Amino acid sequence: MDEPSQLLKNKRIFLLIFFFFLWSPPVWSIENNECLDCHGDTSLVRQQSEGMKEGLYVNNSQFILSVHNINGITCVDCHADIEKLEMDKDVPHATSLKSVDCSKCHEAEAKAYVNSVHKKAGGKGITIPCYACHGYHYVSNLEAESVIDRENGFCLKCHNPEKFHSWLPQMDTHFNFVECTVCHAENVPLFVNLRFWDFSKKRFLSGTEILTALKTNSTGFMPLIDKNKDNKIDADEFEQMVFKLRENNVFGTFHGELIVDLVPVVHHVNRGKANRECEQCHNPISPFFEDVVISLNKEDGDTDRHVVDRSVLSTYYVNHFYAIGGTRVRLLDKIGVAIVVGGISVVFGHLLARIVTIPTRTRRKEKEKEKKYGF
Amino acid sequence: MTENKLLYVHPAPVRVWHWINAAGIVLLVITGVQIRFIEMFDFFSLEEAINLHNYIGFLVIADYALWFAFYMGTGKIKIYFPNPKTFIQDCINQIKYYGGGIFKGDPNPHHMTPTNKFNALQKKAYLGLMFLFLPAQMLTGLFLWRVKKFQVYIDMFGGVKIIDTVHVLLFFFFAAFLIVHSYLATLGHTPLGHFKAMFTGYEEEH
Ligand code: HEC
Ligand code: HEC
Ligand code: HEC
Ligand code: HEC
Ligand code: HEC
Ligand code: HEC
Ligand code: HEC
Ligand code: HEM
Repeated sequence: MDEPSQLLKNKRIFLLIFFFFLWSPPVWSIENNECLDCHGDTSLVRQQSEGMKEGLYVNNSQFILSVHNINGITCVDCHADIEKLEMDKDVPHATSLKSVDCSKCHEAEAKAYVNSVHKKAGGKGITIPCYACHGYHYVSNLEAESVIDRENGFCLKCHNPEKFHSWLPQMDTHFNFVECTVCHAENVPLFVNLRFWDFSKKRFLSGTEILTALKTNSTGFMPLIDKNKDNKIDADEFEQMVFKLRENNVFGTFHGELIVDLVPVVHHVNRGKANRECEQCHNPISPFFEDVVISLNKEDGDTDRHVVDRSVLSTYYVNHFYAIGGTRVRLLDKIGVAIVVGGISVVFGHLLARIVTIPTRTRRKEKEKEKKYGF
Repeated sequence: MTENKLLYVHPAPVRVWHWINAAGIVLLVITGVQIRFIEMFDFFSLEEAINLHNYIGFLVIADYALWFAFYMGTGKIKIYFPNPKTFIQDCINQIKYYGGGIFKGDPNPHHMTPTNKFNALQKKAYLGLMFLFLPAQMLTGLFLWRVKKFQVYIDMFGGVKIIDTVHVLLFFFFAAFLIVHSYLATLGHTPLGHFKAMFTGYEEEH
């Protein structure tokens, strides 16, 4: 116990520590490269008891693209019980490390996760840690992912939804356009995400590509599109945007999908709590289509979300998203009323004319009778 | 009455086809209204309406196949095709009749025979209906029935909203058609004459 005080008394050592803090702070934290000297080697495996081999390789080219690396999280931020590497040993760190605690940094998610069927499953001897869904080394930016990527990456790893949704017509269509958690996570905020499909490239354009096609950048986008400056792209402004894309020879169409917002409550998945009411969505005043956004991901991994008016869903610029009843084109209904009313008017007009002209016909018949029987 | 001859104009398969088709389309219109205007009507829940609509949709498709097989098999399909030489004049005559002559008590310029049972206007309407509108309605309905499965074809036509637009416009057309068609059917020699014939097969000739 008295060792530190002894050290502190030693002025030279005190200075050394001072300079140490001042000049070379990285020495305290271990750099990823040091770990990757060993773990960047695909052949690094360890023998497990049953004769099975466990790979200890970390693919750095994938790791550097992960949200964690982009946000400056290093190996030892997660593997926090490695404080130093003793390079003189075979294995420079403890061979049985503590499992990584994601909730250290993701407190709110961990709290939300407690109240979920998956966490509770832990009580039955099944452990579903965070990384069963998310993975760990290669966690990607979720915002930019499509419904299919999100579902394949998460729920479909463990569940076969075909078994549970026979009541839902066209379940595969729903699963393609509605993320599982939209129905399964209670009270989760959600929105319709619009994506632009390029006809000639035959793929979705990334946010940066859309900006380039509009000859603008992420700061210039809203001033260019949002002419009335209400921070919302309404149907007219949306149309102008499509025209601008066409002017620059970019032709395509918008797809839509219903996805959840990235907030901790997405983890509130519980049995018997899912949305089932069709009318919730298939209804022109459905709150599910209230928030519409166009997300433009930038090069630095961040994403700008721009609010779009819901009326855009009922235009012919979003042709690849249509929830019957819900996002219908109102103009069609007006045309329809005109067609049906037209039909009815013809019938009644004709009928009326026939009634009015009854006397003419009776007279004629009488005349014909007269002729025939010679009265 | 004894001077009226009975003409056999509607063979049994045609009568069966017609009434299944008629009932089918009426129900498709009703369930279709429920599906599209969910916030205004409450005949069925959306789930029920959709299930009914789909079953009846397939019934109508099967029924169309019956119609097609009968008319093609017997070669009677000819009656749907107007005679190009007289078509325009026939149409004019027929329009004059419905727009004027009928009020004065003129006889119908068209004479029904088993091999020529439709007048020129009917031919034109039924030809479009049976070879264009109904098939288009069936095809778009089929696509809407399994959006994911037919994704490739739907995308070829420009997206699910385009498919739906065709389906909905034709739906309004069919709704209007039902009304006009039923009315025109009362313009026979007696108001119920044509209806009876569609059940018995025999039309009275005067
Ligand atoms: C000199 C090579 C070397 C370096 C450097 C090294 N490791 Fe390891 N690491 C190993 C070996 C060998 C094992 C397998 C140990 C065993 O036999 O169980 C291992 C195992 C691990 C494990 C699994 C431990 C467990 O509990 O199952 C983790 C996690 C790990 N290393 C992380 C790191 C991190 C993070 C760094 C950098 C701070 C790092 N390693 C640096 C060689 C190295
Ligand atoms: C976001 C947190 C996080 C970061 C950053 C991270 N790891 Fe891991 N790592 C984990 C988790 C979680 C596991 C799974 C087992 C556990 O809980 O320890 C794991 C497991 C491992 C293993 C065991 C083999 C395996 O793949 O299961 C090795 C080796 C390893 N990590 C090395 C590294 C190295 C090297 C880095 C830096 C390049 C790194 N880790 C960065 C969270 C992380
Ligand atoms: C040392 C702190 C730290 C640890 C430990 C950590 N993370 Fe993260 N995580 C971050 C930071 C920082 C971000 C980026 C900022 C943000 O989106 O919150 C992030 C982002 C994420 C995201 C969000 C992706 C997105 O698109 O918003 C997920 C998912 C995630 N981490 C999962 C995990 C999992 C699973 C673990 C455990 C294996 C874990 N994290 C451990 C710091 C950490
Ligand atoms: C059952 C699967 C599952 C488990 C287990 C899970 N998550 Fe998630 N997590 C999701 C889904 C789904 C999303 C929403 C993103 C999406 O839909 O693509 C999400 C989103 C996130 C996000 C980004 C949204 C936000 O709140 O910023 C973070 C961070 C995150 N999870 C952390 C965690 C942590 C920490 C744990 C463990 C305590 C955990 N997750 C456990 C499925 C899971
Ligand atoms: C790592 C595997 C795994 C993943 C990934 C996963 N689940 Fe689960 N899920 C389970 C297990 C195991 C249970 C059973 C818990 C129990 O019996 O208490 C469960 C239970 C459920 C239940 C309750 C009904 C039931 O069958 O018991 C729902 C709903 C559910 N999961 C939805 C989802 C959704 C939505 C996702 C994607 C966000 C998802 N799960 C991702 C493993 C997983
Ligand atoms: C349209 C809304 C909706 C969508 C989308 C949806 N589900 Fe469900 N799901 C339900 C409803 C409603 C139930 C019935 C049980 C309930 O109320 O939780 C259910 C049941 C389940 C169950 C069984 C739960 C139980 O309580 O028995 C699982 C597991 C499940 N869904 C997983 C998924 C997965 C995985 C996806 C995405 C591929 C998904 N669901 C998409 C609404 C939906
Ligand atoms: C969470 C919202 C939501 C719920 C709940 C929901 N749907 Fe859907 N449904 C959608 C969306 C979004 C689409 C659009 C898919 C597309 O663009 O093709 C869709 C598509 C459909 C389609 C295919 C036709 C089309 O428009 O593409 C049918 C049929 C359908 N839903 C019926 C139902 C029925 C019946 C229920 C209730 C049992 C139901 N839905 C519940 C959101 C929902
Ligand atoms: C002439 C007869 C028909 C009429 C009048 C009709 C009418 C309608 C209407 C109004 C809708 C709602 C569209 C919307 O809300 O935008 C609809 C949807 C639909 N129709 Fe039809 N339809 C007819 C024939 C068919 C046929 C033959 C099929 C083939 C199976 C079909 C399958 C569908 C499907 C699948 C939908 C989507 C909702 C659902 O799954 O039921 N329809 N129809």
